[in-house]
Amino acid sequence: MAVTAQAQALPLVLAAGAAPAEGPGSPREADREAVEACQRGEREAFDELVVRYQRKMYGLCFRYVNNHEDANDLTQEVFLKAWRAIGRFRGQSAFSTWLYRIGVNACLNFLAKRRPHTQELPETLPDSGIRADQRLESRDQARRVREAVQRLPEKQRATLILKIYQELTHQEVAQVLGSTVGTVKANLFHALGNLRKLVAEERG
Amino acid sequence: MAAHLSDEIMTELLEGSSSLEQEGHLAACEECASRLGQAQATLDLALQAEVPEPPGLYWEVLRRNVSRRIAEEPRRRLPWGWLVPVAATAGAIVVALSLGGHSPGASGGPQALPPWSALPPIEEDLDLVVVSGFALENDELAGWDEGRGIGAFIVALSDEESAALVEALRAERREGDL
Repeated sequence: MAVTAQAQALPLVLAAGAAPAEGPGSPREADREAVEACQRGEREAFDELVVRYQRKMYGLCFRYVNNHEDANDLTQEVFLKAWRAIGRFRGQSAFSTWLYRIGVNACLNFLAKRRPHTQELPETLPDSGIRADQRLESRDQARRVREAVQRLPEKQRATLILKIYQELTHQEVAQVLGSTVGTVKANLFHALGNLRKLVAEERG
Repeated sequence: MAAHLSDEIMTELLEGSSSLEQEGHLAACEECASRLGQAQATLDLALQAEVPEPPGLYWEVLRRNVSRRIAEEPRRRLPWGWLVPVAATAGAIVVALSLGGHSPGASGGPQALPPWSALPPIEEDLDLVVVSGFALENDELAGWDEGRGIGAFIVALSDEESAALVEALRAERREGDL
């Protein structure tokens, strides 16, 4: 079993992703209650949030760093940062959106420190002409795709990870990245195009 | 033929939302149909690249590690933390006013216990009845209260004096048992 929930069935199209339900009993409401308890200093409530989001945060971090050790360290850091800042969280966005923002920033900071001179890829890559729609045959190939995701330009990578692997809505991705829905949609399509070329490059 | 479909619309098509006009365009435009097909194939490929599941107990260990590290953090200052010293000062003033002029030993009758005492109120403290009994039976002990009443007397005792009283009562008890 893998961390992402989306791999259960491989849809031919992206899930459009309805906005998360609100109101009593909804996940967002449960988050809000837990956040308020945290703001009163109740650590147990934060434990609840950790349990609820640890898989998602680990998955996000893993997509950025592509190894368990760093993903583990980063996931813990994300939650610690969230705990330290939760007193300032005003609920203007969903808690999950806020947490993802912390997560993406933590990952980018980590990568910036680890690879201060990372070569920035151009927004569009030349097409090698090799088809990318072949089935993956092994874990090794899955790893190559993950590595290709890591080589995507920053905005495209974040958009792809948040939209496809974390299953956020376009609106939520836009909130996390401080962007617009239109830009998110365009970035996602660019990301898929570049991913196809990068995977083909790695195979070639 | 109309202009090619935008990247934004391509993403919407991947999500399954399309208009008749867009479907018509795709049917007629080989380039757009090809781009959409490639994007779908790449999406399919990307979805297969799963994150490896960590070992069974990992999630519990992660949760505990986060919890432990939070417990080790310096105590978080709440946004309304400035109220705490104000409330503490106000509380101290109230206590001081309520006790003002009523220090143990200043009046003749039993005193209400200070609000922070762990002891029950005098009227509910059954131990005082026992202590009073001992004191009344023993001239020496009865003299210790200096005529203030046993409740006020006990409240005013220091820790050392309380210990001495307990020891005296125990000694009295032992002698009685003999």
